[in-house]
Amino acid sequence: MENYDVIVVGAGPGGSIAARESAKKGLKTIFFERGRKPGEKNSSGCGLGPRMWRDFDFMTELTPEDCPSLRPGAAARNYLVNNDGEVSGYLMTKPTDSVTYEPARSWITMNCYRSEFDPWLAKYATDAGAVLKTSTLVTGLLKENGKVSGVIDEKGNKYSGLVIGADGAISMVARESGLRQRWEQEQVTIVPQYDFECPPSKIDDVMGDEALAVWWSATFPAAYQVFFNDGFHIGLGNWMTWWEKNPMHYLNQVVALKYFQRQIRILEAKPREFQVHLLPWQGQPHDTHADNVILIGDAGGFPCPLEAEGIYPAMVTARAAIETAVEAISAADVSKEFLNLYDAKWRATSVGEEFKTGPELASIWKALPFSPLKTMSWFVPMLMEIIGGIFDWSEPHAVRVRQIARRVKQYLPNAIPFIMREVIPLLTAILGEENMNLLTDPEKLIAAMPELEEAIARSFVENDMEEK
Amino acid sequence: MRIPGTGNFITLDNEKCTLCGRCLIICVMNLWKKSDDRVHLVDDYASHCLECGACYQVCESGAIDFRYPAGGTGIVYAKG
Repeated sequence: MENYDVIVVGAGPGGSIAARESAKKGLKTIFFERGRKPGEKNSSGCGLGPRMWRDFDFMTELTPEDCPSLRPGAAARNYLVNNDGEVSGYLMTKPTDSVTYEPARSWITMNCYRSEFDPWLAKYATDAGAVLKTSTLVTGLLKENGKVSGVIDEKGNKYSGLVIGADGAISMVARESGLRQRWEQEQVTIVPQYDFECPPSKIDDVMGDEALAVWWSATFPAAYQVFFNDGFHIGLGNWMTWWEKNPMHYLNQVVALKYFQRQIRILEAKPREFQVHLLPWQGQPHDTHADNVILIGDAGGFPCPLEAEGIYPAMVTARAAIETAVEAISAADVSKEFLNLYDAKWRATSVGEEFKTGPELASIWKALPFSPLKTMSWFVPMLMEIIGGIFDWSEPHAVRVRQIARRVKQYLPNAIPFIMREVIPLLTAILGEENMNLLTDPEKLIAAMPELEEAIARSFVENDMEEK
Repeated sequence: MRIPGTGNFITLDNEKCTLCGRCLIICVMNLWKKSDDRVHLVDDYASHCLECGACYQVCESGAIDFRYPAGGTGIVYAKG
């Protein structure tokens, strides 16, 4: 038996931060990686969020020497794919004037491969004095009187201490501690992705600083594209309940888009690797701890409920877990009751703030980009009608405006229930009910809707001939 | 890339299997097959599996068990 204060299962970003913070607090710490080195077993988007630079000082030390794949996602393209499987338009966006700090004003994400980033991060933990054991699978939890006292590895070696589960979506620590056998099917997504290689100069010339893209679509769930120095990922996901066909059917639809194929040609891109992972994606983390056990990052279900950013929440929950562990160890009380402190601590962070509106955010994501046939099938043509319809020489512009308005009216029977079910609850959660009532009372809106529809219908009836 | 020596890390209990077919739909490597009203895992699954655990996740009857392969073995993502 080897005795530690803190045992961290997993050496991804959450595990490494937990190990680092723990060692820095003077706790005897070990962390385990099942791969030969951190970062070789996981696949990920992967864009690092700017909050990491704001909240973790050492992030400014990350350089292309450490991570040759680094490429800032300074701008994002939003492609809109219509019912015919064609790109019907796109919008480029950059961080806007309301963003308050650097580096968030300069880029949306910093993109890099986890195979480079994770080992770089793990070194901060070993430098702080944590012991890293690689090529070692932790297979079970040690128990005394039915309570978790430590872990056991595949070779039968035993380690005692407080256990931090940083072991990802399929978490052994969650299973063996009784917190969760598996996720509910609507709490976790499957995300296959291709990695393509292409010359860095091609990406510079063709994409410029537009090193991020989302392919919003009426035929497949929203797909993401992340450019690195010498390649890119293209992937998509959805909850386990959604798939009528194999996930590859949909990912291959993205790759088969004419527009995508043209991009592959001009970027001289070649497929390099195929990857898949499970990604917890839910409105509210729960069952985050047990006696002597704390779950962090993906293992605890902490990815952002709207966009599933996972690394920053893993690092923040790691820090909250270690602050909790320090207090629990000094109070000689690692009971589940004492560790309730963990929930209080992560809820007080930026991650906790995100989850205050978590159920509404997850719900709107599910209803919109993850419902291609049901929602995007009218949302994409409606949006493109509005943003693409005016600048058109087919008719006098006043006629065009009326044509567009009539067309948009056809989408209202879909759009209005969507606004009622998804947008209003989200706004209410963000603003609070009192402020929301100042803005608009949903009941009043519903009551006014038939009149509004009638007004729109009547105002365009005299020009109905133009449609023909 | 793939490091050999994983051992057997996915098991199926046919007694518990309800033939729901969700593992067949979800596996991106198509490693689950159904024949004669019986689900099975292809023989050389360990040399194709990407270790995502989706089969375990969707199997609500608990027929599929999944544990990560031995440390230092299995799939390696060079550009993960």
